[in-house]
Amino acid sequence: MTAQYVGQRITRNEDPRLLTGQALFVDDVDLPGMLHAAFLRSDYAHARIKSIDATAARSRPGVVAVYTAEDMGAFWKPGPLLVPAPHSIKDLVFNQRTQIPMARAGDKVRHVGEPMAVVIAESRYIAEDALADIVVDLEPLDAVVDLFRALEPDAPLIHDELGTNLASYVLQEKGNYEQARAQADVVISRRIVIDRGVAAALENRGYVVQWNAREQELTMWATTQAPIALRNLVSATLGISENQMRVIAPFVGGGFGPKIMLCQPEEVLLGWATMKLNRPIKYIEDRRENFLATTMERGQIHDVEIALTRDGQILGLKDVFIHDTGAYNPYALTVPLNTQTHTMGPYEIPNFHTEFKVVFTNKMIVTPVRGAGRPQGVFVMERMMDLAAQELGMNPVEIRRKNMIPADAFPHEQGIIGQDFAQLIYDSGDYPATLEKARQMIGYDQFVKEEQPRFRAEGKHVGIGVACFTEGTAVGPYEGARVTVESSGKVSLVTGVGTQGQGHFTSFAQIVADQLGVDVRDVRVVTGDTAQFHWGTGTFASRGATVAGNAVNAAAASVRAKILKHASKALGAPEKELEIVNGQVRVADIPEKSISLSELALRANPMRGSVEPGTEPGLESTQYFGPQYGATAAGTVAMIVEVDTDTLLVEVKRFVIAHDCGTVLNPLIVDGQVHGGVSMGIGQSFYEQLVYDENGQLLNASFADYLLPRSTDMPHIEIGHLCTPSPLNPMGSKGVGEAGAIPTPACFVQAVENALADYKLEILETPLSPNRLFELVQAANP
Amino acid sequence: MTNQFPITVTVNGVRYERTVEPRLLLVDFIRHELSLTGTHVGCEHGVCGTCTVLFDGQPVRSCLMFAVQANGHEIRTVEGLGTMDKLHPLQEAFRETHALQCGFCTPGFLMTLVPFLEENPKLSEGEIRQALAGNLCRCTGYQHIIDAVKLASDKMGVKP
Amino acid sequence: MKLDGEYLFNGPREEVWKLVRDPDVLATALPGTQSLNKISDTEFEGVMHLKIGPMAGDFTGKLVVSAEVPPESCTLTVDGKGAAGFAKGVGHVQLIEQADGKTLIKYTGDFQVGGKLASTGQRMIDTVSKSMVRQGLEALDKALQARVAAQAENRPVEYKPPTETEFAGAVAKDVAGGVLSIAEVRMVLYIVPVVAVLILLALILSRCGG
Repeated sequence: MTAQYVGQRITRNEDPRLLTGQALFVDDVDLPGMLHAAFLRSDYAHARIKSIDATAARSRPGVVAVYTAEDMGAFWKPGPLLVPAPHSIKDLVFNQRTQIPMARAGDKVRHVGEPMAVVIAESRYIAEDALADIVVDLEPLDAVVDLFRALEPDAPLIHDELGTNLASYVLQEKGNYEQARAQADVVISRRIVIDRGVAAALENRGYVVQWNAREQELTMWATTQAPIALRNLVSATLGISENQMRVIAPFVGGGFGPKIMLCQPEEVLLGWATMKLNRPIKYIEDRRENFLATTMERGQIHDVEIALTRDGQILGLKDVFIHDTGAYNPYALTVPLNTQTHTMGPYEIPNFHTEFKVVFTNKMIVTPVRGAGRPQGVFVMERMMDLAAQELGMNPVEIRRKNMIPADAFPHEQGIIGQDFAQLIYDSGDYPATLEKARQMIGYDQFVKEEQPRFRAEGKHVGIGVACFTEGTAVGPYEGARVTVESSGKVSLVTGVGTQGQGHFTSFAQIVADQLGVDVRDVRVVTGDTAQFHWGTGTFASRGATVAGNAVNAAAASVRAKILKHASKALGAPEKELEIVNGQVRVADIPEKSISLSELALRANPMRGSVEPGTEPGLESTQYFGPQYGATAAGTVAMIVEVDTDTLLVEVKRFVIAHDCGTVLNPLIVDGQVHGGVSMGIGQSFYEQLVYDENGQLLNASFADYLLPRSTDMPHIEIGHLCTPSPLNPMGSKGVGEAGAIPTPACFVQAVENALADYKLEILETPLSPNRLFELVQAANP
Repeated sequence: MTNQFPITVTVNGVRYERTVEPRLLLVDFIRHELSLTGTHVGCEHGVCGTCTVLFDGQPVRSCLMFAVQANGHEIRTVEGLGTMDKLHPLQEAFRETHALQCGFCTPGFLMTLVPFLEENPKLSEGEIRQALAGNLCRCTGYQHIIDAVKLASDKMGVKP
Repeated sequence: MKLDGEYLFNGPREEVWKLVRDPDVLATALPGTQSLNKISDTEFEGVMHLKIGPMAGDFTGKLVVSAEVPPESCTLTVDGKGAAGFAKGVGHVQLIEQADGKTLIKYTGDFQVGGKLASTGQRMIDTVSKSMVRQGLEALDKALQARVAAQAENRPVEYKPPTETEFAGAVAKDVAGGVLSIAEVRMVLYIVPVVAVLILLALILSRCGG
C-alpha cells in the first residue's frame, strides 16, 4: 500500500461547497412553518427573582408562546455533569452545581445572560420585540466577581444551600517540595494572574429543532462539536429514546471549545418547546448573547514558587492557584487539571506540589476554550523560568535546555493525574530538538549579539522571547468510523465526530484513499450526523485526526482485507500478489488480470442466491479506536517584537514555531491549524480581554470593544516541523489543533519584557494591552 | 399592523420584487427572503465583515443596511461569483492555498477581494493585509488568505 | 460612573424649588412621561415611554429622597430599568442662592449601569449622560423662566416642553458635534431613554428646598 495521499498537501474536498456559499450552516436551514425563538436574559449578575409576568408578551401579535421555568414542569432540572469528577484524586472536594434551563421565580439568576424566559414567534424580529413586554420583578443582590472575594466568609453565596462558593479543591503532589525547597540555592515566588477571554467563533451558536409528532422523532441541527453526546444527553432530558432523536452538526463556523458544552439551556428549551408546539423552531444567538451566554475560559490566579540550584537546575515547583468556574461547573475539572499537568511542560520537575481551589462567581460558566487550561500552566512555568534565568544571570534558552526531559527518557511518567483521570505519561518526544530548531529559525544568537544591540543604539525597543510547551492531545475514550465501498466503486466514510473547519472531509479521505487505492476525491465523508453514526465522543482536545483518524484507518484496513479476500477468489490469485490501484484490484505482475472495486462491491452484495455462513454483506467495516492515554505533542515558539514607547503598541516582527505532532496526515491542514492557534494566542496576549465591573456586568460585549486580531495585527508565521511518532496509535500521530494558542502569551510577555529591558519590567499577567503596559511602565519607573 | 414597502432589487443579475418591513436588515433579506444563504451573519454590528456583499459594485456591510435601502440597486453576493463546477480564479486560489477552514468568514473575504483585485492594486504583503483588515477570521490567522490573494492576482492577470 | 457638574438657573431659589416640587409641571417638562406617582413624601415612581428614532420602550423609574437639609441639599437614590438595561445611582444635590437672584445647582452622582447599556454602550455613557443632564437642566431653566415671566406679568405660563425627538436630537448633536456614524447613533438611542429617565427624574423630582 503506497502512501499517495497521507502526508501530502492535498487541497480540501469540502472547499468548493464552502467557497460558493453552498455549504449548509445551521442558520441556512429553513423549514415550512418554522418559528423563531428569543431568550429573555438577565441583565443582573446576581438577583432574586420575585415574579416573571409574560402576559403582555403572550398577547403580542405574532407571538405563539412564551415559556418560563414554571411552564416546564418536571422537565425543569439542572443539566447533567458532562465530565465526571476525578475521584481517583485523594481528598478531592467537588461540589456539583450544573446549569439550569431557565431561572425560576423564587430562585435566583446567577450571571448576566442567564435565561429567564423564552419567546417563540413568527419571526425573530417579533420575538425580540416581545422580550421587552415581559416584566420581571427582581431584587438585585451583591455580585461576586473577584476570585479571592468569593472565598471570604462574608461573601455573597452563589449557591445558597452550599454554604460556600468553593466548587472544588484538588491537591496533587509528586515527590516532596518542602524538602526540595530546603536544599535549594534560589527560591523565587510570585503571584501570576491570567484573565478570561472568549472563543468568539465567527458563527454564533444556533439550533433548528423539529419535532415530528407523527413519527415521534426529534431532529436538531446544532452548531455543536459533539453531536452524539448532545443527542444522548438531550434525548434523556426530554424523556425520549436516543433512537428518536437525530442531531445534525452541518458545517459549523468555528468551534474552539464552547460548542462542546452540552445540555446548554437553549438546547434543552428548544427541544422541549418544539415537542410542545409541534412546530419547527429556530434560534440563532446574536453576538452580544455569545459574549454573555456562551461558555468561556482562562481566569486563574497562581501563587507559585520555584526552587533551583545555583546553576539553574529545578529542584521543585509549588503552585497554589484559584480557578474561576463561573456560576456553575458542568465541565467539572478538565480545565484546571490541564493546567496542573501542563505546568510541568517539557521539563524535569522532580518535586511538584500543585493544588487548586475552584470558585463559583457571578460570571458565565467556564468550559474549555482552545488550550483548555494548558496555556495557564505554560504561562506560569515559563514566567518562573524567565525569573529564575534573570536571578541567576542565565540565558533564557540555556535554563530551558538544562531542565528539559532528554530525548531518551520516553515514555516518561509525570506522576500527576490529568484530565482523562489517568496518570500523565509523555509517550514520545524530543524537546531539546524543538528548542534548538526554534532557536535556529529565529536566529537567536545573531539577534541577541548583533541585531538587538544595534536596535538599542538606534533607540528602538526590540526584544526576543522563547517559550517551550507540551500539549496533551488525542485523549480517549474513543471514536469510530464506517467505511463502505459502494457499487459505483466510490467509497463512503462515516464517522461520529463533527467538523468545524479541521478538514476532516479531506484528511480522513486521504487515509481511506491510500488504504483502498482510490482517488481521494472519490471518498465521500459524512461527519456529525447521529442518524448515520451514533457512537463517539466529539471534536475537542486536539483529538479528531488522531482518534477518529485511527478509527478510519482501522475501518479502511479492514475493508481492504475484505476486498483482497474477495478479489483473490474472483481472480484466482493469492492475496499477497494483489494490489489496488485506481479503483482496480489487479495481480501485480499481470495488470490485465483485474477486477474493479465496483464489480467486487456488487458481487459482495448479491441480490439472489445463497452465501456462506458467517458472511458479512458488502465491502464495509465499522471500527473503533481508543488510545491507552493521550499522546503528548510539544514545541517551542520564538518571537521578536518591537514596542513603540510612545503608544505602547507592540508589533510582532517575527514569529516562529517548531512543532512536533508526530505523523502528519496533511501538512497544509496542519499549517492552517497552527496559524489559527497562533492567532488566538496573539489575541489572548495583547488584544483580547473581557472587562467586568464589580457588579458582574461585562463592559465590552461586542467586537467594537473586544478586539480580535486582524490581518494587520498578525505576524507572518514560520513553522518548522519535527516528528517523534506516537507509539500509542498505529498511525503514530498526535494532535495539533491547540498548539499555537498554548505558548504564545508566555512568549509574548517574555519578548515584551526583553524589548523594554531598560524599563525593568516584571510582567506577571496576561493579557496585556497598551493601557496596561503603560501602567506597568509607569509603576516600574516612577 | 407592520408597515410593508415594495422594493425591487437586482441580485446577481436577477430582479426580485418583494414587500418588506422597513426594519428588515439587508443581510436577512438576502439570506431568508431570497434564500441566498452564502452571505453570513457574524456580529450584526459591522465589525467582522462576514456579511460583506457588493452594493453597486462596492463592498458594504449588509448587516448595517436595511433592505429598503437596496431598492433600485444592484447587489452581488458570493453565489454570483462562481459555481462548484466552475470556481472563480479567486475561489480557486483560496482552495489551493488553504485560505479557509470553517468557511464562515470566507464569502465576506471573497466579496471584499473582488473589487480590490479589479483595481489592479500593488500586492505587497502590507498592502494586502491592509485591504483585508476589515474582515475578521478566527480560524486561519490570515496567512493563507494572503497567499491566496497573491496567487489569485497571478491567475487573474492583475497588473499593479 | 461618576456624574458631577453645576448649572446656573435663571431664577430665585424659591422658584426653582416650587417648580421641581410640582409633579404636573415636571411631567410635561420631561418628554415621554406616562405616569408620575407620589408614593409618599419621599418616594416617587414613574413610567416613561421614550421613542427616539427606531428605539422605543418603557422605562420604570423609582426615586427615593433622603438626607434632606432644606433648602440646601439632599440625597437622591434612583433605580430605573427598561429593555435597554438598568441604571442605579446615588446623587447629592445642592442649591446655592446667588447674589443676582439666580440659583446655582451643584450635583455629584455615582451610577452603575447594566444590560445592553453596559455591555455595548460604554464609550457613549459618559458623554451622553453629561449632555443629557445639561439638556434637561436647560429645558427646566426655560420652564422656570416662563413661569417667572408669567408670574411677573400675571398671565398663564407659556412653555412648550421639548418633544422626545427634539430632546434626543439635541443630545445626539451635542455629543457628536454633528457627525455621527450609524453605530454611534444606535448607541445614543439606547442610552438616551434610560439615562433621561434616571438623571432627570433624579434631579427634577428633588425635594431640595423643602
